[in-house]
Amino acid sequence: MTDLDATPPRPWPVLRLNSFRAKFLIVVGGAVLFDLLVGGGVALWNVNRLSRDATQQIESGLTKASQEYLQNYIETTALRADLLFGRMHSEVTALAASMQRLIDYPEAKDAIGKALAKNPYFNAPLAYDATGNWVQTRQGSPSVMSVWGYLLSADHQPKPEILRDIQESAIFDIFGTSQMSTGAKKLQVYYVGPKAGPIMRTIPYSDQAQTFDKLYPGHDKANFWDFFFPGVYEGWEGWIREPDSRPVKGDDITATAPYIDAITGKLIVSFFHPLWTKDRNNVAGMVAADVTLDQLADIVESVKVADTGFGFLTMSNGNVLAIKPEGEKMLGLKIASGAAGQGVTGLDRSLKKSTHATVAALELPADDKTVIKHISIEENGKAQPYIVVLRRLNPVNLWNSTGSITAETLMLGFVVPEREIYASLLAAQQSISSATNRILITQVIAVIVSLLIVFAAVFGISKRITAGLSALAGAAKRLQAKDYSVRVSIPTRDEVGAVGVAFNRMAEQISFHTENLEQLVDERTRELGDANQEISALNEKLRDENVRLGAELAVARQIQMMVLPKQFELEAIPGLEIAAYMRPADEVGGDYYDVLQNGSRVKIGIGDVTGHGLESGVLMLMVQSVARALQETDEANPHQFLDRLNRAIYKNIERTNTDKHLSLAFLDFEDERVTLSGQHEDVLVVRADGEVERIDTIDLGLPVGLENDISKFIATRDILFGSGDVIVLHTDGVTEAEDHERKLFGFERLSQSVQRRHGSSAEDIKTGIIDDLMAHIGIQKIHDDITLVIIRHT
Amino acid sequence: MEIKTDDYRVWTEGSEIFFDGAMRLASSDAGASITALATRVLASNPASITLNLKDLHFLNSSGINLLAKFTIEVRKHPDVRLVVRGTPDIPWQSKSLPNLKKLHPAVVLLMD
Repeated sequence: MTDLDATPPRPWPVLRLNSFRAKFLIVVGGAVLFDLLVGGGVALWNVNRLSRDATQQIESGLTKASQEYLQNYIETTALRADLLFGRMHSEVTALAASMQRLIDYPEAKDAIGKALAKNPYFNAPLAYDATGNWVQTRQGSPSVMSVWGYLLSADHQPKPEILRDIQESAIFDIFGTSQMSTGAKKLQVYYVGPKAGPIMRTIPYSDQAQTFDKLYPGHDKANFWDFFFPGVYEGWEGWIREPDSRPVKGDDITATAPYIDAITGKLIVSFFHPLWTKDRNNVAGMVAADVTLDQLADIVESVKVADTGFGFLTMSNGNVLAIKPEGEKMLGLKIASGAAGQGVTGLDRSLKKSTHATVAALELPADDKTVIKHISIEENGKAQPYIVVLRRLNPVNLWNSTGSITAETLMLGFVVPEREIYASLLAAQQSISSATNRILITQVIAVIVSLLIVFAAVFGISKRITAGLSALAGAAKRLQAKDYSVRVSIPTRDEVGAVGVAFNRMAEQISFHTENLEQLVDERTRELGDANQEISALNEKLRDENVRLGAELAVARQIQMMVLPKQFELEAIPGLEIAAYMRPADEVGGDYYDVLQNGSRVKIGIGDVTGHGLESGVLMLMVQSVARALQETDEANPHQFLDRLNRAIYKNIERTNTDKHLSLAFLDFEDERVTLSGQHEDVLVVRADGEVERIDTIDLGLPVGLENDISKFIATRDILFGSGDVIVLHTDGVTEAEDHERKLFGFERLSQSVQRRHGSSAEDIKTGIIDDLMAHIGIQKIHDDITLVIIRHT
Repeated sequence: MEIKTDDYRVWTEGSEIFFDGAMRLASSDAGASITALATRVLASNPASITLNLKDLHFLNSSGINLLAKFTIEVRKHPDVRLVVRGTPDIPWQSKSLPNLKKLHPAVVLLMD
């Protein structure tokens, strides 16, 4: 158990930024957010475009409709105004036509005049007013007939031609009264005589002269025409001379600029219709009607566009004739006071003097087309857009205060705040805008809600997905901390689940192997401990044994070497030069050689015990001892010698129960003859002249120690051994020595080696052979004991 | 039955014992298994036992001792014929195999 059990691994923090789960959340959330934003953005863009397009459509439609509406409205209104003027015109024209008819038919006029003169109603008495120096019909007359002082005779009565005109114009009382009571509403209609006799007959009755006196003192000091309407009479006279000089073609009616009527005090406009003499060469006075502007203003002021839109009527010079007070205020107009003419007081309320620069700069149309202008007017310190619609009325001849008659076109104007006329447009825009906003908000909310839902879902799913990974990570950590008992539980059936299953299997195997390994290691350690003890014990034993064996071997080797013939012994042998070499493969060899001398007899033996080592060495010692003993018994017969030796050795081998035997040969030297007996390796004889003889010993005996009786196999062979001849004896360790290619040294090489050195001393031959042999062996292992005996006949 | 080392191989085919390679027996113990193999063949009491040595290029003196001992053993079974096949081309064979015939004259030595 590990210390991890004491402090279990901390659960993964819910959202560590570098955790898989956080990355998962960020990736999925980011993808969803991107998707939603792109989708939402595209949707919003489309909605925006849609709303923009719709707004444009509606705006263009509504603007067109509004403009058409305004145009229609103003044209209708202009028509109404024109109709009003037309009506005035026709009434005045009708009245004037009646009067002109009479002028054109003087007899009828005269007759009617005389006839009416007889009627006290129509021929109302004229009363002289001393203060004003005028005569005037009295109250109750059908009309007020004023005759100014300069038309009176000394008797304060009208001059006769004036009186005649008075009588003849009495018919006006009939025409005028009927005109007053019918048709358009008029303040008054009146007749003014020609410049020579400008009497004035006005219906209805009023204190005409008195009012004139009061309002226009001194008016009776000048001609009526010149005082009240200077230039108009002359203008008409100009028309007679040049009919085309009429400002408005074919129209005789001349209007005045609006003025404040002296009698009624109202702002009025007078419509004059000149009368002509029968020959049309002179002006014969005029018929006129005064109309209050109220009637026109009614039309203009009744205009109502949207909530606060209003109409106004202006002269071509910008002087506004009719406007509602609210409109007047709105347009920043003021009535300039005290602008008095000679006869009438004009009205000065010009657009050009507006307190608003935009209004003052307003350009009036120069043709009969309806003009729609957009201006901004400051209202409560804030510029507000307004639509101004302008439309000219039909032109009229205008007598203006400068004394000339010009064509005047009045203008009708509508002013309406854009916000009102476009109220529906604005409402539509507002509605679209709010719809767009609603969509936007809905979209944003949808995005947020979607995100929340997706995040919640992803959060939940990621927990499921990453729970497995977290569990794996935690388990892996614990495994790393060598807690092999750890297992993960991942219920999902996906790849993570598969990893979990594999992990558990691995953990199980690791656990099994680890625990088993520990157990195994324990077992092995225990076994090794035991073995080690045993080995130690054995080692100790072996060491003891080795020491013992080593000591034994050392002794045996020493004894073996000790029994070999010494150098001085060899040197003491007369006639023979002997050199010997022995090298055991082990510490103790199995080879044998000896030089035995007994008197004049010299016996040299050579043998090879099978194997080597202590046993072989001991057998060799035995052979040596037996041979020595036999030599000492003067056994001269080689056959007997070998047979007895064999018997002795055989019995000893039998006793010691060892699987060994040996080849053994003896050479008995006597003068120049050598008797060879026993089976061993071939004997090499190199004659003094270098000739080589190889003498086979196979048929001279049998290996010693194999059989108890080998006598029947023992044979001898005599070899001549002259002076300078050399006999070489060897064991198979020489001929069977291998080089690195496992090639044997062989008899041939041996004989060649000896042959090369014939004539040399035995010692030199021996050294030479050993050198050649060692060169052959090189660094190869020496398998067998090597023994070499060189005997040279001196 | 087969005995096999890096250097030599000994096996039997029926009552014929084959030797192959170069046999250097360090001691008589090393040859014990070969002796056992040959003894088993002998124990089966065949009419004839053949030692085929034609491919045994080298045999040291311990091995020759082994062959000699086995020949002496076979000699005790007069009804078992011992045939030794060798070749005069291999030095040790021409040198040592005649000894087997000396030990047991009934041995049929085939040097071909």
